[in-house]
Amino acid sequence: MSTLAANLVQIAVIVMIFLLMPCAWRAFKGPSPADRLQALDTITMLLIGIIVLLAVVQGSSFVIDVALALSAFSFVATLAIARYLAEGRLF
Amino acid sequence: MLGEIIGLLFILSGVTFCALGVLGIMRLPDVYSRIHASGKVAILGIFGLLAGTAILLPEATLKLLGLGVFILLTSPVASHAIAAAAYRSGVPLKQATRDDLAERNRAIAAEE
Repeated sequence: MSTLAANLVQIAVIVMIFLLMPCAWRAFKGPSPADRLQALDTITMLLIGIIVLLAVVQGSSFVIDVALALSAFSFVATLAIARYLAEGRLF
Repeated sequence: MLGEIIGLLFILSGVTFCALGVLGIMRLPDVYSRIHASGKVAILGIFGLLAGTAILLPEATLKLLGLGVFILLTSPVASHAIAAAAYRSGVPLKQATRDDLAERNRAIAAEE
């Protein structure tokens, strides 16, 4: 990985972090709770992208397990909240 | 050197698709079209990044493949669950020309 490539990947990480702001704004403003749930789902998906890019920046493949765990948790959480929204009960 | 360029191009495409998806989330009128936009971020954006990382970090390709398959399986289900929850919790459809589900629900309610 030449230093130029490492710098460019770091710039990509910074751009992805700036992409989180509109999702947080949508999560704050969203009229209905479903908006907030959808914005949170997008935030976790962007975080998975950021973690994968950080794995490239650090050059260690260990970090990708974090992204895998986060995607598993975000899936279960999204389904649980969606079920609570739709039917008012969780279990 | 060539591999890095291709990897960086993949990462560039991933970041641009993420940006387009987030732009869609900000601008689109109602929940259902925004869920459509968040699907772009989840699949096109993240898969571009995964492909770029697989090229730049060759020893992690198996893990990245696993992560990609997992996201491919779970993201559509999550988006569908959000859309169903939004519809059932009564979020209005803006600029909707037809609402087939409402007619079907009314037909079912009429039968009971």
